[in-house]
Amino acid sequence: MKLRDRLVAPARDPLWSAAFAVLAALAVSFAAVLASGKNAPLGFAYLFQGALGGPGPLGETAVKSSVLILTGLSVAVAFTVGLFNIGGEGQLIWGALAAAVAGRALDLPAPLLVPAALLAAAAAGAAWGFIPGALKMYRGVHEVISTILLNWIAIHLVHGWLVAGPLAARGSGSSVSMAGTDPIRAAAWLPRPIAGSRLDLGLPIAVACAAAVWFLLTRLRLGFEWRAVGAGAGAAQASGIPTRLRVCQAMALSGALAGLAGGLLVLGTEHRYPGVFRTGYGFDGIAVALVGGVTAPGVVASGIVFGALRAGATRLQLVGIHPSFAELIQGIAVLLVAAPRLFAPLLVRLRAISRPPGAAP
Amino acid sequence: MSAGLSGVLEFAPPLVLAALGGVLSERAGVVNIGLEGMMRFGAFAAAVGAFFTGSPWLGLACGALAGAAAASAHALLALRYRADQVVSGIALNLVALGLVTFLLETTFGSSGVSPPVPSLPRDASGRTAVAWVALALPALLHFAFTRTALGLRIRATGENPHAAATAGVRVLRLRASCVLGSGVLAGLGGAALSVGIVGQFDARMPAGEGFMALAAMVFGRWTPLGAAGAAFFFAATDAFQRQLSFSLHAADLRLQGIFLALPYALTLLLLAAGAGRIRAPAADGVPYDPEGRP
Repeated sequence: MKLRDRLVAPARDPLWSAAFAVLAALAVSFAAVLASGKNAPLGFAYLFQGALGGPGPLGETAVKSSVLILTGLSVAVAFTVGLFNIGGEGQLIWGALAAAVAGRALDLPAPLLVPAALLAAAAAGAAWGFIPGALKMYRGVHEVISTILLNWIAIHLVHGWLVAGPLAARGSGSSVSMAGTDPIRAAAWLPRPIAGSRLDLGLPIAVACAAAVWFLLTRLRLGFEWRAVGAGAGAAQASGIPTRLRVCQAMALSGALAGLAGGLLVLGTEHRYPGVFRTGYGFDGIAVALVGGVTAPGVVASGIVFGALRAGATRLQLVGIHPSFAELIQGIAVLLVAAPRLFAPLLVRLRAISRPPGAAP
Repeated sequence: MSAGLSGVLEFAPPLVLAALGGVLSERAGVVNIGLEGMMRFGAFAAAVGAFFTGSPWLGLACGALAGAAAASAHALLALRYRADQVVSGIALNLVALGLVTFLLETTFGSSGVSPPVPSLPRDASGRTAVAWVALALPALLHFAFTRTALGLRIRATGENPHAAATAGVRVLRLRASCVLGSGVLAGLGGAALSVGIVGQFDARMPAGEGFMALAAMVFGRWTPLGAAGAAFFFAATDAFQRQLSFSLHAADLRLQGIFLALPYALTLLLLAAGAGRIRAPAADGVPYDPEGRP
């Protein structure tokens, strides 16, 4: 059975293989660091400290996790209807830009401005996610290719044209601005309740979205139809489900979630669309979704784990390891998750242990 | 205009090689999203090889080997463990991203670029050997696919592996060879980038060229000549865009983003317009189960 088929149904096994994959990835990375001659135990201690050691680090973890949860949800929603959404990067970028523009242009009090800007972000992402869905359904263009192309188009249009030109911060003269857009109004900032920490409303928003997505997919008829389309579009169409419409809707939601992630980045952390935007969260969403077993609760869990990894990774420089090491751990985890059959014998044994004898499998 | 043409011949080879690698793998029935990662491994290995041996040719060989090694992981997951091939390819890209950055740091102590490495010699017209390979290889592959028995077997494996198996083709073994071959080509493409064109390894390499190669493959309808043609087309628009940005004033430079986006937008439009007639190999991406029903 293809992995994709298995992922559409509510999953129990993926939790074990995901946990195992993450632990194994950490172990492999530990060994790699040892082999390269650096101080592995100290490095990993710094890693955990940087992720969990106090309100500051916890705030960083929360901030990064919230973005990863949303991009992970984006990929998971697309998976539900059987599509690979590799376009999270582009959808996030448009969402971030929309939030930056709305956060600057709209003169509203905070309780209205924040939701408005986030809504703008979601809408922008939804539009960019809708395109590949429609292209696949109505023109047969494979979504892997179209989303990758759309990523590049978004990056170039936003970074190379809009943020550098028409939307650049005023007063930057005639040279190409590297400062990004004008900063958003103070009323648009996501509130930070704890002094000394960048913890903001982002994580509750992300978790709330995960809960909403879970509810949609498992309790609402629309979600059921999406899952039916993902399990077999032909059969779904035959039983009266408007397949093409459902796929476009799901892709729009998928894009909206990624756009919302971009909105969180702008309203919570950057407070403008920055001249140098560290992209990569969109792509990481794929890893988050895969390791999380493509279920909403799984995505939350793996989003938090990978967010913690990223937050702590900057401290790895203290032992001379480049922070991109977190990406390596992430990649290995995905590699291990990609082949559940590797663990099949182990999983069977674990399942047998965790289940009382005589109970149904 | 000749400046433009030479620009294309300079920058196209990595894309052409990677696109050909994609064609080889997918015609045999194995989806290969991991071209980007294989190019990355190839580019880095080539730089390391050239640096430590002093020979760019040995560097190229290292690049090809590294690409093959990366491809072997994809082949293992996809063929032996029947993992989802798109997921396996994406995983490969993620690992390549982090691992190569890590290795760059450990080997050269840098997080940006490697030191300059010996690069390929250029002939009288300023061409490296890879430029000629990029011109000749598509024709060779086309010939192999359409005129040789091996090519027929490969194509059969991609369209209907069960029928091919009945005719005596060792499907899994042939697919594995094709995936490894695609790794060699993609690795060579990456090597051409670091050792052939730039003269060092840059941490961002191949900066999305692997994905462009995928687009070229789809655009070229999974044929060697089509994929190579599409790759040359992309390189040409890239060269055109670069020439344009040289002749623009600083104020107009802000429009650069639009020009940069043009090749991709154009590709998307063309795919949308003609996509109805494009078909991947019928068994592309479907894990082969010897005991399964055909």
